[in-house]
Amino acid sequence: MSSITAPPGENESHVTSYPRFLGRSLWLATEGSLAFYAWMTVLTALFLVGANAWANQVAGGMIGTNMTDHVSWGLYIANFTFMVGLAAGGVMMVIPAYLYRDRKMHDVVIIGELLAIAAIVMCLMFVIADLGRPDRFWHMMPVIGKFNFPISMLTWDVIVLNGYLLLNLHICGYLLYMRYLGRKPNPVWYVPFVMLSIVWAISIHTVTAFLYCGLGGRPFWNTALLAPRFLASAFVSGPAFIIVSMVLIKRVTGVGGLDQPIATLTKIVRVTILINLLMVTSELFTEFYTGGSHTSAAKYLFFGLHGKTALVPWIWTAIGLNITAALLLLWPGLLELRRRPLLVAACCMAFVGAWIEKGMGLIVPGFIPSTLHEIVEYVPSQLEWKVTVGIWAFGLMVFTIAIKTALPTLRHPAEH
Amino acid sequence: MVGIVVWQQGHRAGERIEHPEDPLAARYAGAASPDAESSSAAQVSGEHEADSAELFSVLIRKPDGPPRVKLAGRDPQGRSPEAACSTCHSIRDPNFGNTTPATLDEFHQGLSVAHGNLACYACHNPQDADTLRLADGTAVAYQDVMTMCSQCHSQQAESFAHGAHGGMTGHWDLRRGPQMKINCIDCHDPHSPVYPKMVVGFKPKDRFNVPADDHHDHEGADSHGEH
Amino acid sequence: MANTESTPQPTSKPSLPVVQNFTRRAAVKGAFATLGAGAFVAAVSPLRQAAKNTTAAEFMQQHYTELSPEQKADVIARLEAEAKEQYGADVQIADDRPIPGTKFVYAINLSVCNGNGKCVEACHKENNHDRDTNQSYIRVVEMPKGTMDMEKGSTTYTGTVPKDDKFYLPVQCQQCDEPPCVDVCPVKATWKEEDGIVVVDYNWCIGCRYCEAACPYHARRFNWKKPVVPAEEINPDQSYLSNRVRPVGVVEKCTYCLHRTRRGRLPACLEACPTGARVFGNILDKDSNIRWILENKRVYILKEELGTKPAFFYYFD
Repeated sequence: MSSITAPPGENESHVTSYPRFLGRSLWLATEGSLAFYAWMTVLTALFLVGANAWANQVAGGMIGTNMTDHVSWGLYIANFTFMVGLAAGGVMMVIPAYLYRDRKMHDVVIIGELLAIAAIVMCLMFVIADLGRPDRFWHMMPVIGKFNFPISMLTWDVIVLNGYLLLNLHICGYLLYMRYLGRKPNPVWYVPFVMLSIVWAISIHTVTAFLYCGLGGRPFWNTALLAPRFLASAFVSGPAFIIVSMVLIKRVTGVGGLDQPIATLTKIVRVTILINLLMVTSELFTEFYTGGSHTSAAKYLFFGLHGKTALVPWIWTAIGLNITAALLLLWPGLLELRRRPLLVAACCMAFVGAWIEKGMGLIVPGFIPSTLHEIVEYVPSQLEWKVTVGIWAFGLMVFTIAIKTALPTLRHPAEH
Repeated sequence: MVGIVVWQQGHRAGERIEHPEDPLAARYAGAASPDAESSSAAQVSGEHEADSAELFSVLIRKPDGPPRVKLAGRDPQGRSPEAACSTCHSIRDPNFGNTTPATLDEFHQGLSVAHGNLACYACHNPQDADTLRLADGTAVAYQDVMTMCSQCHSQQAESFAHGAHGGMTGHWDLRRGPQMKINCIDCHDPHSPVYPKMVVGFKPKDRFNVPADDHHDHEGADSHGEH
Repeated sequence: MANTESTPQPTSKPSLPVVQNFTRRAAVKGAFATLGAGAFVAAVSPLRQAAKNTTAAEFMQQHYTELSPEQKADVIARLEAEAKEQYGADVQIADDRPIPGTKFVYAINLSVCNGNGKCVEACHKENNHDRDTNQSYIRVVEMPKGTMDMEKGSTTYTGTVPKDDKFYLPVQCQQCDEPPCVDVCPVKATWKEEDGIVVVDYNWCIGCRYCEAACPYHARRFNWKKPVVPAEEINPDQSYLSNRVRPVGVVEKCTYCLHRTRRGRLPACLEACPTGARVFGNILDKDSNIRWILENKRVYILKEELGTKPAFFYYFD
């Protein structure tokens, strides 16, 4: 698409030079150290295990999962929801870089945009993995299929997710392509898209929350606070992942200029994690102080119901991780360079905490008890874990390759 | 048991005796099968609910006629003999002092009756043992037993007339086919009309509880928790 | 699969950094790319099995509402042939359309229902449900007297019924006038027909199960595997939108037995009810049983506060 947005060069048209740029990028991205090849090999192996598990699931039916008619969405949709948040979380770099003109952040903002690409790819893979009939995927395509727009929130989600993917592909593709051509990027061709992507990032997670909170039959989800909560936790998990990535990038590649963005992001997470905790508290107060039948899902989640307690360890782990991470992040000393491992640990805790809170702590208990108040518990099957790990491995591969492609830009930001 | 035998449908007798503990089994087996229903349609009389001639009828099944009482012992050919009510009652005077089977010194002893405080001759006709009698003394054929039930149970009768009480099969749309309804005594033993208890036979299972794997249900799924 | 990919790489890795020759390096990369692609093809090879079960005609089939009469006839012929091939049963699949001037409504007399579950079983047999799971569109909730709070109910009761302190609440698709399941479907695979029945095109559903999440009455079922029904137990009297054996990976639901009711017959669950608790009819017919019940009995609907407007009523004598 970038070939359309920029005028043709003097010697050759973008039609030929853009594929050459892509080929060159792929070539560079697959160059690397032994550790790099080992990392990619491990990811490839995990991905293949997941692909095989998914193929078996398609061939044998979703009986291989532990989902039921009672808990009809499980690990896949939980991860999907979380990955939408991760994609939206990248915007926490874009906002300081473009709205607050943070130069240092601007130099490395592409990390957030590339993360968004990888995360959205994973989202789409998790949705496909969850479909009973992936062969009928074309039914969802506008024009050739039947697209229940605007009534079904899922069609909104398809639009905003693919739109966000295209936006970020364009922004990253354009910037990297201009660098490949050795030209200065023309703000006309990317700044409006960046501004749009800020709004769009909010929209993807809002729409994803609307998938759930619009369902009157599921009282646990049926709360106006769900979309804000999703955004708050997205702005914890996204920056937390980016902080960890930056620490690793700095260590592995020696790219400089990352410390100030790390500090900025840490300050952001410091606030968002508290907002998220406040929202969770507010939700829980409403549930438990009111009481009644609509509280049963929350009771099941936190304390177990009628002797069934499968989710209790998950949610208390999440609460513990979130509170510990919040306390660590509140401590100013965490930003000192020598305490990087502690910062990484805090970010990992916040990340895992948000993952549990959104998945096993939100998607699954929405189904328990069921609409007829039957308590059918859910623990993911081995097949589901394999597919999930495979998709994560693929996402990390995409992210790794994307970061490698962008390394020249990250090393010499001045030209960009 | 005498009571049940007395009130059974002739063509259902064999099944009823096979399941003496579950009088519903026979009725249900018949009602579920369209063939059984059409065969019983021969024994029912039509009752038009609508004026339009194009409509099919609502057919209410009626008892065959006066019950016959099984006699003790067997005849020389090994058959169990049966007798009409009037065989005995026409030659014996009614004793109105007997209001429950408890005071009988012969015949019908042990018949379990739990139908309010009704005495035998509240419903059975002392003048003609092969008919029933209404409260005003009018004789009613056994086939028209519902007329008698309706004297007291008018609310149920009204509901029955509007399809809100009693089972049915066939068509909801009488333009396309008839509707078959059962009568009061198909479900309610007149001597002990409380609807009998039943045993739940069929339960949907969750997909994990396949027969070969009965105990591996959701508690079992907990063992995957370590993954 | 993973091993074939990962083992050769470390052994050949040490030579990589010293390779300066571009073409040789490209060849090595190409070799690994080929290896990876080969491993991927091997990993997803079970898909070939799945692809065998889906014919091109099935894959390309259009949405039910867009099929011409000829296309419908072809589809039905194909489905009947599949039933013969996969289940060994001779079935007739009709395409029953709504009767004009009909709006179906169901009512259950809770004073009479004793929870015996015959309706559950009749649904199972009539609708060619999976035998392994005793699947059925009906669930009966045993409730303590004195509450309408389903939280206090149980669907797993067994033994002799009715129990003295309980009443029984059968729940199936309520054929809502404002069906949340229809709203959420991303591909319009489920819709409400003129006679009020919410149907699913089993050949259009993508199996996302959003409708299962949206339904407040646990009315929808997903085919987690290919249904198992012995040939001699298959009900051959079928309809495209109703009780034909469903494919794996799609959602299904109660259709008020439209293959019977659109031909004027009563639903299977009603005929099976030994207590006469069930009443079915056309609410547009002012002389119908169902109209008399709505006008004369104390009627209520499930989860009224959700605004789903069920076409399914419960009443007490």
